[in-house]
Amino acid sequence: MELSPVDIVIFAPLAVVFGVLLFWFLQLLFIESQKYLLSKIRAKHEPLCRFTNFIGILFQTICHALGYTVTRSGISHFSVNIHYGHVKPKKEKRGIFEWISNSFLFLGPFFIPSAVLLTSVYFFTGRSFFIPSPAADAFYTFSEQFIAFGTALHQFSVKFFNFLFTIDLFDPRHIGFILLLVFLGMGIRPSYIGEEKKKKVDMIYDLKNIQAHITSSPLYVALLFLLAYIFYYISLLLHGNWYVALFSIFGWISIIAIVSLLVAHFLILLIKITDTLPKWWALLPYSMLPLSYILIRIVFYFLPIENILFFSLLFMICISALTILILVKYKTNTFKTKT
Amino acid sequence: MDQNEPLQNEKIERVLSPHPLSFMRLQSLCLFLIIWGVLVGWLVNFSEYKTLLGSMEWYPILVWGGVLLLVGVIASLITIRWSVLILYLGVFLAGVGFMWSQNWVKDSGIFIPFYSIFISVAGFLLVEGYRRSHKYIISNLRIIFKGGIFTKRERTLRYDKITDIDAKQGILGQIFSFGTVIPISASGFGLGSDKTLAAGGVDVGIKNVRFLGLFGGGKEVQTPRARSYYELHGIYPYKEVKNLVENMVQNNVITPYQQKQVELQEEQKEVQKEQVDIQKQMRDLLKKQMVSNDESESEDENIKSV
Repeated sequence: MELSPVDIVIFAPLAVVFGVLLFWFLQLLFIESQKYLLSKIRAKHEPLCRFTNFIGILFQTICHALGYTVTRSGISHFSVNIHYGHVKPKKEKRGIFEWISNSFLFLGPFFIPSAVLLTSVYFFTGRSFFIPSPAADAFYTFSEQFIAFGTALHQFSVKFFNFLFTIDLFDPRHIGFILLLVFLGMGIRPSYIGEEKKKKVDMIYDLKNIQAHITSSPLYVALLFLLAYIFYYISLLLHGNWYVALFSIFGWISIIAIVSLLVAHFLILLIKITDTLPKWWALLPYSMLPLSYILIRIVFYFLPIENILFFSLLFMICISALTILILVKYKTNTFKTKT
Repeated sequence: MDQNEPLQNEKIERVLSPHPLSFMRLQSLCLFLIIWGVLVGWLVNFSEYKTLLGSMEWYPILVWGGVLLLVGVIASLITIRWSVLILYLGVFLAGVGFMWSQNWVKDSGIFIPFYSIFISVAGFLLVEGYRRSHKYIISNLRIIFKGGIFTKRERTLRYDKITDIDAKQGILGQIFSFGTVIPISASGFGLGSDKTLAAGGVDVGIKNVRFLGLFGGGKEVQTPRARSYYELHGIYPYKEVKNLVENMVQNNVITPYQQKQVELQEEQKEVQKEQVDIQKQMRDLLKKQMVSNDESESEDENIKSV
């Protein structure tokens, strides 16, 4: 295959950037959907919504503080509550330093919580952090860069999902991971659901903030791209895979964030469905989750089969889903028609 | 005072109890016990470290007790209360004593989780009992703080005696809408102090001759603090109750401007009283005059007729 110099020099570095943007946008959509679901259960579950707000704001404030620390502005004041966070720098820096600290504020909340999750995933699936080597697969063009990025993400996803589907709920470390996944999944969002809907704070609002941030200083954005290109050329000249590796990390972070948001979605949906059930019946789906898991693990202890962990999880999910369906059918009016 | 024994003109506005999560500090002690106990059980029986921990029968007990006491020391240093360490030490010693007396040391991997669950459940029940022993009554005249599991305590605070109100709401309180309101009285009831002390020692000398010098310093900061029986601890809904108390205090406190107005009104009353007296005197005089006029007229008529 003939290699085009324009492709290698100009377009190839952009492949991974587009890849990361694509995943980030997916993450944004999931965040928006989660916010919609949360707003639906807000009336009955005000504390839960406040809790999710707090996690989101906490991470946003930490990111802002991190921005000031990185730019060596220092922190003179740091406070967080369930409605807002406030960070004040010791020295008010202008120009690129201000821009960097604002970048942390706007973009950090999307990546920092999932970066925490990625760190914890490393302890469970350490060997899944795979980066394709250029010696094996020469990636110099846009499409090859994209394939390399995709391969890194695919390898990671296979290991990550493999781990997720074989989670042992009798292992306290795995329980801790699940709790962290749900806990952070609730808070991977920069904006929050207010007590009163005064201003529409949604995905468009977040995007507008980011757009304003970028357009306010196009020079810094250009500088950032220039740095990325330089880094890519160095990687290319030294036959290294650092450029893809760096952006793959952002891809992994986005995958983890999406999974975490999905798990949080299931939890919110469960809450939403049980809200429609009569008081004591609403407890049944929650108790079915641990009970069915314990039951099947006892059964598998006496009748061992292959992939016990996977089938135990599957059984737990199926039984719980079935219980919910039966309860919804017989205890609510959802599936009933007028006679 | 009982709720059904109000004072004259007293109206009960609210009867409150602390929120179930307001004693989270105490509940978290039990929570840690349960989590660590179960974790030790898992480590000894199911984890990859089970052979290591099972090699000596005292290893699980040492690991369990070591972490328990370490957390006790850390928690005591943070909260400046040695009671946490003493509590964990008590739990540990009682557990070891029981295992030793029953000859269950070799089965510590099974005993520890069950013992931890039992102690934690008992702890949760105690905390719940302690919480339920609190009762705060807010009336239009005063706040009554009642409580005590065995010893009954009661504090009555009239609104005009409240000089300051301290209110605080932690993250859990913000999430579940509860918080603590400490009314501080003129006598300083509701105030505590944070003390920091630093001390250093010098030991110099050789062989048998040694000099020892000690130097140190301290700092004290006054801070609103009271026992949960003497403050509105973990009340729900926080904002409404806080506003209610503040309004009650405001309604019962006479500001200098209002005091001047009252004085002026009293002066006006006296002037009005004097005016009324003068008017009364004038009226009496007029009456007398009228009576005397009537008498003189009748005398004249008599003379004419004669």
